Amino acid sequence: MSKLLEVKDLAVRFALPKPSFFAEQPYLEAVRQVSFSLEKGRALGIVGESGSGKTTTAMAAIRLVQASGGQVLFEGDDLLQLDDAAMRQRRRDVQLIFQDPYSSLNPRARVVDIVREPMDLMEIGDMASRTARVRELFELVGLRPDQLNLFPHQFSGGQRQRISIARALTTNPKLLVCDEPVSALDVAIQAQILNLLARLKAELGLSYLFISHDLGVVRHLCDDVAVMYLGKIVEQGPRDALFEDPKHPYTQALLSAAPSLTGRKAQGYVRPAKLLGDPPSPLNPPKGCAFADRCPLVAAVCRD
Amino acid sequence: MSSLLEIEDLRVTFNTRYGEVTALDSVSLQVNEGETLGVVGESGCGKSITALSVMGLIPMPPGRVAGGAIRLNGEDLTQASERRMQALRGGEMAMIFQEPMTSLNPVFTVGAQIAEAIMLHQNVDRSQAMRRAVALLDRVGIPSPDQRARDYPHQLSGGMRQRVMIAMAVSCRPKVLIADEPTTALDVTVQAQIFDLLNEIQREYGSAIILITHDMGAISEMADRVAVMYAGRVIEEARADDVLDFPQHPYARGLISCIPALGKRDGGATDMLAEIPGVVPPLHLLGAGCAFADRCAARAPRCELEKPHLFAHGHHPVACHAVEEGRL
Amino acid sequence: MLSKATAKQAEFQAESPALEAWRMFRRNIPALIGVVMLSVIILATLYGTFFYAGDPFDIVWAPQEPPGMTPEFPLGTDYLGRDIIAGLLTGGGPTLAVGSAAAAITMGIGITMGALAGYYGGWIDNLLMRITEFFQVLPALLFAMVLVTLFSPSLLTIAMAIGLVSWPQTARLTRAEFLKIKQLEYVTAARAIGARNRRIIWKVILPNALPPLIVSATLTVGVAILFEAGLSFLGLGDPNVMSWGRMIGANRDILDAWWPVTFPGLAIFFTVFSVSLIGDGLNDAFNPKLRER
Repeated sequence: MSKLLEVKDLAVRFALPKPSFFAEQPYLEAVRQVSFSLEKGRALGIVGESGSGKTTTAMAAIRLVQASGGQVLFEGDDLLQLDDAAMRQRRRDVQLIFQDPYSSLNPRARVVDIVREPMDLMEIGDMASRTARVRELFELVGLRPDQLNLFPHQFSGGQRQRISIARALTTNPKLLVCDEPVSALDVAIQAQILNLLARLKAELGLSYLFISHDLGVVRHLCDDVAVMYLGKIVEQGPRDALFEDPKHPYTQALLSAAPSLTGRKAQGYVRPAKLLGDPPSPLNPPKGCAFADRCPLVAAVCRD
Repeated sequence: MSSLLEIEDLRVTFNTRYGEVTALDSVSLQVNEGETLGVVGESGCGKSITALSVMGLIPMPPGRVAGGAIRLNGEDLTQASERRMQALRGGEMAMIFQEPMTSLNPVFTVGAQIAEAIMLHQNVDRSQAMRRAVALLDRVGIPSPDQRARDYPHQLSGGMRQRVMIAMAVSCRPKVLIADEPTTALDVTVQAQIFDLLNEIQREYGSAIILITHDMGAISEMADRVAVMYAGRVIEEARADDVLDFPQHPYARGLISCIPALGKRDGGATDMLAEIPGVVPPLHLLGAGCAFADRCAARAPRCELEKPHLFAHGHHPVACHAVEEGRL
Repeated sequence: MLSKATAKQAEFQAESPALEAWRMFRRNIPALIGVVMLSVIILATLYGTFFYAGDPFDIVWAPQEPPGMTPEFPLGTDYLGRDIIAGLLTGGGPTLAVGSAAAAITMGIGITMGALAGYYGGWIDNLLMRITEFFQVLPALLFAMVLVTLFSPSLLTIAMAIGLVSWPQTARLTRAEFLKIKQLEYVTAARAIGARNRRIIWKVILPNALPPLIVSATLTVGVAILFEAGLSFLGLGDPNVMSWGRMIGANRDILDAWWPVTFPGLAIFFTVFSVSLIGDGLNDAFNPKLRER
């Protein structure tokens, strides 16, 4: 198996407003020294709570957010070093699907144009072959060709997510970044989309960088999992190892906090490990281990 | 013994541009003191409308209670005056909403807002109310409540804001507490804290809780009984264990089996989830038959013609022709 | 598999946003009244002189003939004895032309500045917004007067002067819309498929920012007409062209005759009123939240 994507020491920071004109420029360290790799045909899940930097990490890896350091090797090329023209060429290999099926499609464009647009921009084929490709994609994601000329608001949330997937597949990408693709959907629709993603992965040999806060979804779809907390990966490994034998106390807490059908109130279920407090703010990260303040196993060494 | 809160054959309609649509159709539910009723379903199934009906917060027009009754301790709330409802809301019954940011007024401190809620229902002066507010913040697990009471909503995290909402809701020890997707906007570790807090409050005050959610996991951990709703009707109702372990209605079965499980799975990474095909039909397109018929594998001609009613099956009440006829 | 219900639903809603907006607009009675009023006004100023000949500068009758006294001049004459109806009919064209040209200039400058500032942010935003503020704090009428005096008063310079002093509002509105829309995911999606900035600004964001801008444009037409009236009132109109504002300006000193100023005043009032009715209607028609019921 070959490595499709290898991220090394990725860092992202955002400039904050200066408190005064002469003050040093303050930064928010959103992603700190994140490294992971993704093999061809596999799915890597990045899980974490809001503010953990999981979305920023993925966006920086495909250069939709500017990284402040590190390397992103995609088939050996460092994406962060490519010039604009070369990056535009590379965009056809890395595509993404968003969380919100309502804001991810331009409300003023017909869906056929939305799905065809990547080919227009990259000048792939002629008009007739592009339209044929759109029809093919519609079928692939489970939409009907007679819906081609409708506008996004005429579709349900699940159908919109299918359109979003069709658009992402237009250029035959190798890597799909999925940013919480099912968290805005009802459970029944969520299952439809997850099955579609699983089928596409198997049929097209796609690789996914799958961002989610839902552990059940990640466990279902991903081969490998990385857990992020306050801009850092705190634990990563193959799915079953990580879910069945979590090592980091945060991973353990995350797993026990997720509601599941096995914990029954009627049978006197009491949550085993309870995590206190909120995640710390990235604006004001604690010294030492970021998790120390909430950790049941905290020791003096964690605070340095 | 009659229940603390009883909803009987409630029918709520809305005037829309498609004409009058029925948002709730013969909904009957009851909840007892100290008990948690989970109401579960996809968006548009009527679970939030049910909650708002109980609180008397349906916007009228376009909404209208077209039939049925909501009885709190025997008093029919659909007949109560607006004045009476105002006295009940925040007193006998209280509600927690999904979005704790927009449910709090950004220009007042959280302490002042809780104190305001207390003064509306209890005959106390401002300083007493303030003291009680601080005690409540302490009760809902907010550290250094004296200082937090002086904070504005935007200075608190999402989890803290939801705790403030809970403090406000329980300030008058409500008999009925309605929580409408109280943790949807929160992270899972914070959600766990809020669930535990709601359970503690229930043990302490003996309140009945109606938990509106789309999450079967939340139902499992929180609810004693469950009502599954679909397209404005209750299609299955029973003890939580019965619904989770022996769901009868094809929709309830689908809803449970389509959840990606957190526990160990047998297959590889690409095994498939059970699917419910299609989508929830829009209310204005509901016909004479079962609203789920279009998506149902056990559909028969009768299902397209006649709405099924809840009937006591071997296990528990289910509204499905196929279950009734023993086809499922 | 798609259920029957969804198929029905898709069929039911198969309308473009523009069509849907038109369906909303059609149901808006005040807006339709505005359309009818404006159409009557435009037709009268375009073709009125075919049926009612007369040079508005000719002295045709005794000065200050009150309306209704002479059958040939139903609305009377002004302080020089010029026919008021002729003035209204010929003065409407220039008034409307200045109004719409000024609105077009306002929109052109305002949208460009606001779009660039909102999209790029950073120092570009800072620079453009300081320029915008500079124009916004200038006393508009005084500045327009200076411009018109510097470049001899003609319809074009007047329209440009009005446009130059009224674009900051539009720029701020456009910028706010761009700031809001540029963070939506379909804009990120456009970037992810390699779209260039120019395309994102004009083809992706602008069409979605249009609804409030259309409304603001209709309001600007009204403001520009009033502005032109103000300039003419101060004697800074084009000396060779009759306009409603000029009629009011010329007759302003005659205190014992109400009619020479009232009729052009009413014409301006009805024009601005109809345009703003249409603007409100467009606003509602493009607001998806109002379409639900």
